[in-house]
Amino acid sequence: MEKKRLYWRICCVAAIILSIITFTPLVIPQGVSKPELGGVPYSLWTSFVITVLLVILTYIGTRVHPGMQNEEEDL
Amino acid sequence: MIFWVWVFGLIYAGLLVFASLRSYKKNRSSEEFMMAGSNIGLTLGVLTFAAALFSTFTFLGMPDFFRINGVAAWIFLAVSDGAMVFLLLWFGYHIRMKVKGMEFRGVAGLISRCYENRLAGYVFFLSSFLFLIPYVGIQIQGIAIFMDAAFPGSFPAWGWSAGIVLIMLVYSEIGGLKAIIFSDAIQGLLLLGVIWIIGWACLSHFGGIGPMFDKIGTVQEDLLSSPGPQGLLTPQFLFASLIAILMIPVTQPQFTTRIVVMKSMKTMQLMAVSLGAFAILVILPTIFIGMYGADLYSEYGRDEFFANAFLYDQPDAVAALAIIGLIAAGLSTTNAQIFALGSELRGLLRGNENSIMTKTKIGIFVFSVIAFFFSIIVIDQLVLLARVSFAGTGIMGPMIILGILSNRKVSPAIIYLSLTGLIIFLLSLGGWIPDMYFDIRLDLILFITLGIAAVISHLTGTKRQLIRPKTNE
Repeated sequence: MEKKRLYWRICCVAAIILSIITFTPLVIPQGVSKPELGGVPYSLWTSFVITVLLVILTYIGTRVHPGMQNEEEDL
Repeated sequence: MIFWVWVFGLIYAGLLVFASLRSYKKNRSSEEFMMAGSNIGLTLGVLTFAAALFSTFTFLGMPDFFRINGVAAWIFLAVSDGAMVFLLLWFGYHIRMKVKGMEFRGVAGLISRCYENRLAGYVFFLSSFLFLIPYVGIQIQGIAIFMDAAFPGSFPAWGWSAGIVLIMLVYSEIGGLKAIIFSDAIQGLLLLGVIWIIGWACLSHFGGIGPMFDKIGTVQEDLLSSPGPQGLLTPQFLFASLIAILMIPVTQPQFTTRIVVMKSMKTMQLMAVSLGAFAILVILPTIFIGMYGADLYSEYGRDEFFANAFLYDQPDAVAALAIIGLIAAGLSTTNAQIFALGSELRGLLRGNENSIMTKTKIGIFVFSVIAFFFSIIVIDQLVLLARVSFAGTGIMGPMIILGILSNRKVSPAIIYLSLTGLIIFLLSLGGWIPDMYFDIRLDLILFITLGIAAVISHLTGTKRQLIRPKTNE
């Protein structure tokens, strides 16, 4: 249970960090579209990767969310 | 095209009739009518949440937003949706635990109980009413514009709007929330299919993703980076939009209701993940349509772009599917929003259950009529009006999160502060006060201030005394 709580917290911190870096020049340098990836402009491919990572984190979150165990115990 | 519209239209109408009849029960309880028996499985849950979330705002608004503001529009919606599904996991758990063992009668009713103060419910209802109705109105208008372009001169725009409102009312009256959820499932799949067919056709125009952006670079290079040609998509605008979109499952009652009526916690959690994947799949093709518009129709207005990209440039069968897909997208969202307002009204009413249901149904009718009038008078960009709607209801976020999460007896100050925040935001929308202070957007200032106020309220709240229930020894 303690481990789950720790993993859940790591997921939360990772989601917050990913969300925040999206609004920094690391992802949206103003007026810059390079380096491209497969012809896709920089801000688009980096933010696409962030979106996918957020969804993956959500999936991991469903596995480690400490509340699931609570519900099972309640049942 | 008319032939195909009839074919797809009849199939769609048939599926709607089937769904509403399947949901209809003669002696159903008000709980079954308003909350679908609180027993929604994973597939239906994902599709109903997605259909309520991705509306004409996504179908028409996002291609137009990409066309005008460029690729950073992805951050505006897709990254924000990715973060939102994570928050959904966290908030969904807490709200489901909160309502466990009690009858859920909408967020307004719940929040009144949390604060033991009915004003909290009224303030929440007011914000929902003020910001959902214009949003519903502009979606109905979006469909009407599109139908007018498809069948010029057949009906006035208001005639199409009236027809849509009528279908919405009849449909929700027959089947209640369950019918809306069934129809959402049909509409969610239809929306995904149609947007990909049109997106693919637009991508084929360029010959691939790389050539598409090469071409756009020669047409308008600003579209390939933030803040875009209009200078709109600045980090601050995008960050404030993220907060507004994050608050959607918390503050927009049609989504909160769907979280609560999911069959189990596990189903709700898997729904959040699937919704994230659905969001990526739905938003991706809108980039292709937007870039197509930037290449061919950059000088055109909104309506001409819609008509050309979705109708005139497509084969007849695809154009017909686009019409049906758009009706589906608009109908599912407007239906969900109007019904949710009715559900919130029900949570605030007191008295005999039959009289409450009658008043709720009258309320749904009145909300639909008001939305219809808005659809005639509102003129704005779909996406920007949607964003105002998200931000306006988002102001209630700190109050709701505090009420649901805090285990302390907190001061009602946050209720009055949220009401003040709502009034200030309305004043700025009306142009009576500025919407920027010290180069910071007013909505961002309100989110931060109310967030801090909520934290202080929690820290200064008094711990509730737990009273053990008496047991027979």
